[in-house]
Amino acid sequence: MSLAPVPIASAAVPAEPEPVISVQHLVKRYGDVVAVDDVSFSIRKGEIFGIVGPNGAGKTTTVECISGLRVPDSGRILVEGFSPRTDRDKIRQFVGVQLQDCALPPRITVGEAVGLFASFYRDPLNADELLESLGIRTIEEKQFRTLSGGQKQRLSIALALVGNPTIAVLDELTTGLDPEARRETWGLIERIRDRGVTVVLVTHFMDEAERLCDRIALIDHGIVRALDTPEAIAARAGGFRVRFVPSAPVDDQTLRAIPGVESIERKDKYVTVRGTGDLAASVVDALAKAGIRVTELEARGGSLDDAFVMLTRETGPMGRDRA
Amino acid sequence: MTSVSDSAQPHVRSRGAFSELFKVQGRLALREPYGAVGLALPVGLLVVFWYIGTLNPGEVGSTGLTILELWIPTILVLSYTALGLIGLPAVFARDREIGWLRRVSTTPVRPSRLLAVQLLLNVIIAAIATVIMIVVAVTLLGAPLTIGVEFVGVAILAIAELFSLGLVIAAIAPTQQAASYIAGGLFFPLLFFSGLWVQPAQVGGSLATIMYFSPTGAAVRALLYSVFNATPPYTTVVTMAVYTVIFAFLAVRFFRWE
Repeated sequence: MSLAPVPIASAAVPAEPEPVISVQHLVKRYGDVVAVDDVSFSIRKGEIFGIVGPNGAGKTTTVECISGLRVPDSGRILVEGFSPRTDRDKIRQFVGVQLQDCALPPRITVGEAVGLFASFYRDPLNADELLESLGIRTIEEKQFRTLSGGQKQRLSIALALVGNPTIAVLDELTTGLDPEARRETWGLIERIRDRGVTVVLVTHFMDEAERLCDRIALIDHGIVRALDTPEAIAARAGGFRVRFVPSAPVDDQTLRAIPGVESIERKDKYVTVRGTGDLAASVVDALAKAGIRVTELEARGGSLDDAFVMLTRETGPMGRDRA
Repeated sequence: MTSVSDSAQPHVRSRGAFSELFKVQGRLALREPYGAVGLALPVGLLVVFWYIGTLNPGEVGSTGLTILELWIPTILVLSYTALGLIGLPAVFARDREIGWLRRVSTTPVRPSRLLAVQLLLNVIIAAIATVIMIVVAVTLLGAPLTIGVEFVGVAILAIAELFSLGLVIAAIAPTQQAASYIAGGLFFPLLFFSGLWVQPAQVGGSLATIMYFSPTGAAVRALLYSVFNATPPYTTVVTMAVYTVIFAFLAVRFFRWE
């Protein structure tokens, strides 16, 4: 596992900082269904830590245990040294939470909601400044039921931050937003991190995780499949892609025989192979031997998305057995 | 960690939180129709029964009371029933259903605070409704009421009884929709027992007995004595107290925050 950059590292922070959140062997069942099955990771101060995976993977359950909303069946969680179970009151002072599928009373205004939440905390942020920085000061008087999806998400972020938390847990923040609003929200999350807040980001969007997260725990069927930087996970899964146009038709059998090739896709004149190792060179060499020239060659490292598909496919059946 | 570890005064802001909650919930209550129903409907009915009374002067049966006098306690109970059974559980079930209570439970404020404020607001609205009705009945409509300590005690007990029933609905209803169905199903039988359409004194017999021992009928009977500064029959007070204890127990027993 490579060391992620610690953005706000300074002389005041020891060389190997204590994790702000540590999760060890977390298990949570709902009846017979195992939602989280032995999940362990630790989150460093000031990073954006992604908990990613498909729907129903156990992401939300994991962060609900961290925020003290659910009691784990077994395992140990510490948040800034406190247990979410026994020190719930302490944790709620410095952990700001944005919940998935949470609405506000329809007739509450933006300003009322933020003012109300500010009154809940000992040392809240200035509500006006917060609304200003989130770009929703102008809709302060609007009622919740009249807000757009993007405005609701901004308000939700405001409520998570108004208590001036050191940790912000954001669950499926951009689900249901249009592409522009998603990008704006990403900018907001980066600014939260820049203020020194540790961000725990739950998402099933791989592009979002890739773009924002310093490190990622990839969870599927309640199990951590990978825990590293997005780049390292993408590389480790060996998700390389090579796309080219062959000078003559080439059959699948020939391509499969090339070392490292794992999958083949064809679209129009293009052939795309995915796999591991020194893929581009292997493909060019092998096809040259078969008397086929390769043009318009394009090779790139795999995305997190590719890695995710590979990692979950590999272990999929085992996961299904467990579920 | 420094700001975290010196959290020795966990409730240092709780008074601020309470007043802010009261302010915001109060404003929200004004934007919902429920409070108006608990206030406007009884005043409207008061005028209606006063008008019916002017068309049918004299005492009802051998009760010695005019229509207006006889119906005042029923209309008071109708106000408490509307507030307790319809407004209170609807708002609470909705706040639970949409995840608002869960959202609040991630903050240092407990969601029980929300419920406490909601209850307090409804009690205040019930008190305002009571004062308006008594004042209107005595000063504008000329009802010869003599309000004393006993009336205040009986009214508080009636509100406690009917609001506890509302909390049972809030506890068992999975959604706001379900809460309104349950409340609707109970509302009209309870209004019937309260004597809105026909007073127990007019029907007599075993139906009158059933009405007297219903949650609303007992409250109406106790209020009827107390608005004339008479001591209500102890059975009415005991009946209301027993219902209150049962409802409160059920509400606590089946309560859910999520």
